[in-house]
Amino acid sequence: MNRFTKHVARLAFAGLLLAGMSAQAHHSFAMFDHDHQIKISGTVTHFQWTNPHVYIDLDVPQDQGDLKHYTIECANPGILDRIGWKFNMIKVGDKITTIIAPLRTGEPGGLLKQVTLADGRKFENGGPAGKANIQ
Amino acid sequence: MSRDIRAAVLVLAVLATGVDCGLALAQTPPPVSHAALNGAWDRYSTATLDPRVTAAAPVPPPPLKPAYQAEWLAQQKAAKEADERGQPLYGGYAQCLPDGMPAMMMAMFPMEVLQTPGQITIIEEAYNQVRRIYLNEKQLAIDDAEPGFWGHSVGHWEGDTLVVNTVGIKEEVRFRGAPHSANMQIDERIRMLSKDIFEDQVTVTDPEYLTQPWKFTWKYVRKPRYKILEYVCEANREYQDPQTGGIRMRIGAPGSGGSASAPASAPGPAKP
Repeated sequence: MNRFTKHVARLAFAGLLLAGMSAQAHHSFAMFDHDHQIKISGTVTHFQWTNPHVYIDLDVPQDQGDLKHYTIECANPGILDRIGWKFNMIKVGDKITTIIAPLRTGEPGGLLKQVTLADGRKFENGGPAGKANIQ
Repeated sequence: MSRDIRAAVLVLAVLATGVDCGLALAQTPPPVSHAALNGAWDRYSTATLDPRVTAAAPVPPPPLKPAYQAEWLAQQKAAKEADERGQPLYGGYAQCLPDGMPAMMMAMFPMEVLQTPGQITIIEEAYNQVRRIYLNEKQLAIDDAEPGFWGHSVGHWEGDTLVVNTVGIKEEVRFRGAPHSANMQIDERIRMLSKDIFEDQVTVTDPEYLTQPWKFTWKYVRKPRYKILEYVCEANREYQDPQTGGIRMRIGAPGSGGSASAPASAPGPAKP
């Protein structure tokens, strides 16, 4: 390994440490199953732009024709602002598609990984929450 | 050549010379005025890394005396096991409690430093935290320092270094879960490493609980033109499960009643 690659490796390692620390420092995401992500689409019934978490409530049509109500946890307004979200970009009645890490309890809820808005724009949920692992 | 390309070439040139040269540069910063500390700051990380200044080392575990260390290790283990069960422990943040000192200075979110005559004020965006450092004042006796989250801080400049002493941290306010006495003192040495990076060398002293002072350093990088956001912790839907003691998430918006298939009446307060 030459000095340059050594330095890059060192920086990358420091980055990993920092990333781990910040995630640990703020919040544990252990109540969500990050390995078995699901995609759900539905109609927004409530959009809560608050700290420490933003929430999306979604009525999701089921095969039998009834609706199942989901609550989706997002990061906080600061993290989301800094990656391009806006406080009013989701409105009641909007049809959106989300990829979530579902609650391990089996309740209808999860942690947002990615949202696709009615106009097709896609947003992630910030660094600590992690990325979608399905399409 | 555009400015960006020139900057990239400079970064590569410095990288190619290796980290040792970078360290030497970092240790001999150019003189920077005290006023440079004003403004908005982010935790210094790889996202904004300047190759001339190394990232801060991770905070080491607290050097607790054996009796307290056993308890601390048991807590760490319990937290890890709770995470593995998918029932993370219900902690301060879910209860809308701020970090307090010294954890506030890890700058979970951006931070702002303001200097006015006789006072330096530090605002941390997360949980709207504010600490005030009174310049050139005598520190209070511990018995006179009302315990709080951020305590009572006094400071003075020693050349280019802001030297700060803090006492009066509530015993319930624990950094990394480390217990401490009412006599804990936090000393900080804050100085600019370049015009856009500063460091805070922290020393926690508490002979009743620690075998030696607990030392670590945080670094910060300027966040130009950033405007600190308000942060009120409200209507958190995370609550403590009365059975497991772990965190649960309430389904359904507060007051909405949810829909037929949702357990909107799940136990737990609408607001913590």
